[in-house]
Amino acid sequence: MEVTNKIPEPEAFELSAEQVPSTRFTDHNEIIIEEVTRNHKLLHRHRLKQNNVSIGRDYNNDIILTDPHICPQHLSLNYVQGAWQLADNNSVNGTTLESENTKQSLSEQRTVNDGDVIVLGKSQLRILFSDHKVAETVAFSPFESLIDIVRNPIAVFISIALFMLIAANISYLNQQTAINISQIFVSAFSMSLLFALWPAGVALVSHLTKHDPRILAQLGISFSFFILMWLSDLLEKVISFNSASNSMLGIVITLLPIALAFSLFWLNSYIGFHMPAKRRLFIAFAITSLLFGGSYLLQYSKKPEFNPHPSYNSTIMAPPFLLAPSSNVDEFVEQSNKLFDKASKAAQAD
Amino acid sequence: MKSLFAIFFMLLSSAIFAKESAEEIFAQLTPSLYQIKLIDKASGEKSSIGSAFQISADGIIATNYHVISSYARHPEKYRIEYLDHLGNTAQVSLVSVDVINDLALVKRQVSKDMPFFSLSDKKPSKGEQLFALGNPHDLGMIVVPGTYNGLKKESFNERIHFTGSINSGMSGGPVVNKLEQVVGINVATSGNQIGFLVPHEKLVNLFDSYLASPPADIKQQMAAQLLANQEKLMSALINSTWQSKELAGNAMFPLIDVPFIRCWGDSNADKTDALILAAVASCSLDENTYISSHFFTGSVEIEFRYMQAKDLSDNKFYHLYQQQISRAGAGNRAGKDDVSEYQCHHDLVMPESTANTSQEINNKSVFCTRAYKDFPQLFDVLYLGASIDKDQQALVSHFTLAGVSQENAMTFTGKFIEAVSWK
Repeated sequence: MEVTNKIPEPEAFELSAEQVPSTRFTDHNEIIIEEVTRNHKLLHRHRLKQNNVSIGRDYNNDIILTDPHICPQHLSLNYVQGAWQLADNNSVNGTTLESENTKQSLSEQRTVNDGDVIVLGKSQLRILFSDHKVAETVAFSPFESLIDIVRNPIAVFISIALFMLIAANISYLNQQTAINISQIFVSAFSMSLLFALWPAGVALVSHLTKHDPRILAQLGISFSFFILMWLSDLLEKVISFNSASNSMLGIVITLLPIALAFSLFWLNSYIGFHMPAKRRLFIAFAITSLLFGGSYLLQYSKKPEFNPHPSYNSTIMAPPFLLAPSSNVDEFVEQSNKLFDKASKAAQAD
Repeated sequence: MKSLFAIFFMLLSSAIFAKESAEEIFAQLTPSLYQIKLIDKASGEKSSIGSAFQISADGIIATNYHVISSYARHPEKYRIEYLDHLGNTAQVSLVSVDVINDLALVKRQVSKDMPFFSLSDKKPSKGEQLFALGNPHDLGMIVVPGTYNGLKKESFNERIHFTGSINSGMSGGPVVNKLEQVVGINVATSGNQIGFLVPHEKLVNLFDSYLASPPADIKQQMAAQLLANQEKLMSALINSTWQSKELAGNAMFPLIDVPFIRCWGDSNADKTDALILAAVASCSLDENTYISSHFFTGSVEIEFRYMQAKDLSDNKFYHLYQQQISRAGAGNRAGKDDVSEYQCHHDLVMPESTANTSQEINNKSVFCTRAYKDFPQLFDVLYLGASIDKDQQALVSHFTLAGVSQENAMTFTGKFIEAVSWK
């Protein structure tokens, strides 16, 4: 969710229809008044070319506001000697002018500058002149083309279908008794629904914060990553099946799901919200560490003080997944011999 | 009619004779019988009780190790007291134990020579009448007549099979013959008149070695006994013949040919809805060594499980197979104060003896061990081998050994892995 204190600059494309840079000449007689929310989200934009602008609840005003805390003839803006002057017409709740760093209620006529915000009642108006500086054009990032692929309805459908197949396979593998097709289908379907909650939730939040929800892109990217995570799980299983306890590869591979989760959260926020790159990195990092750190803490807190049972790696897979050569008995006995020292040290330690 | 009458009379008289001798025995021996109580120092109340009997004029009293085991493990927490037939109570000191045969010697202070039980110098004969003495459930000293039925069949550490009621609280009490000589010590029961006694020779040995050189430290004495016992057990296991036997017609497993290891079999062939056909052969040592109520050692368990998929994909078969092997546990009970946590190693292992033959087997093997905290050279070990080379068949080979040395554990492990194969 985006919360900003600064007033966002109007986006480039919104002005481009009216902007003709080569023939444009600066005339402050032209005024742009934006109705903005308290969070500085744009509601309406008015472009006026006249010397006097009246604002209030009455229908004879140039800009009619419906806020009940605003007076019928609340205030007027007048173009005098090359500058716009703001005058409050003895309104009940008064008018405040917020400049870049000052904030004062209006008792007399004041000059309005580019970018100032007028607060009247519970509404806010931002004043801009036509030569207001706009932000640099944001170039499409390479992710844009990736997102274009995954948000394609066919791609979304394929990724969800693939996910359901995987979920069905997992529930098939876990069934202890005779195989029941309808049960497998129901569990695959409910699994997909459950996992769809995440992209739907992100889309809802971005919609509520006045961003484009882009639900298809969120669904596509999330389900693609769920599939990637399952693949990384499979890879981890194959590696732990094929390697002995003292293999480094096993440790490296456990980092893969964390990296994937981080990428997913980063892309979710890239699709759903406009924000600086640093903040996006921070948010993705925060959610990832909350997820993995939280589950680690949960496991850690459940760990008994003393475990009388051995905890060992029991991963086995069907023969086609067997890639590594086997040791002989002597090698195994030699490696196992090293455990006795470790166990003795552990026994003497406490 | 006359002869029938005579038989009836004889039966009656022999019953009277037995009753009298039980009474006599009890009356004569009772000054040398004791109840042993373990008093928890903090609360001042007894935490366990047992029976005991004096075996020397200068106050050596014999009982079971398990009666005083809490003291042997935590001497700072308890004290041992005796209660004699007159109701006198005084503290005794622990002087020697035999943890393998569940015996202990304690010593009381005596002012003058006292009467004591004499230990028999020969074994009883089968069918001989014996009398067990003791204080069951703190109800008072009693005498139980019973029959000697030889040594327990197929036992590693001998126990006498006594047909007569032995109840808890009688542990440590003596069993005497009609000559009032001790032939055994009450130790255990399996209910319904089946009782077990420690043969008197074990007590004779313990007493003689105490007289020759009293042990300096009880914990070290126990450690040496446990080490010697595992050496005896493991060399018997390793050096006996390992017969290769067939399991479910497809796998070969070793059957260790020693009388004290007994095997049982089971399968789920009757369950038509099972997804996997399983046949299990499991062998174990029937006895174990009591160290404390939460710490046992000396057990041996061996298990072989053959599994065959019924209408399953390979992946599903292996998925269910993995669930079967993921929860192997220790064969003996031990707690945080007794042992370290398990350390494990796993690898893919192909025994060379079967390599490149039709018997060739490839295993995922797991070996785990934990060390004893008070007995430095002893370990519990666990091995699990799961075959990974057949699409629809699996063979799990598994054993646990409790309280063994590193060398014995690894010799056994190496021999065991080499002995398991496909047919």
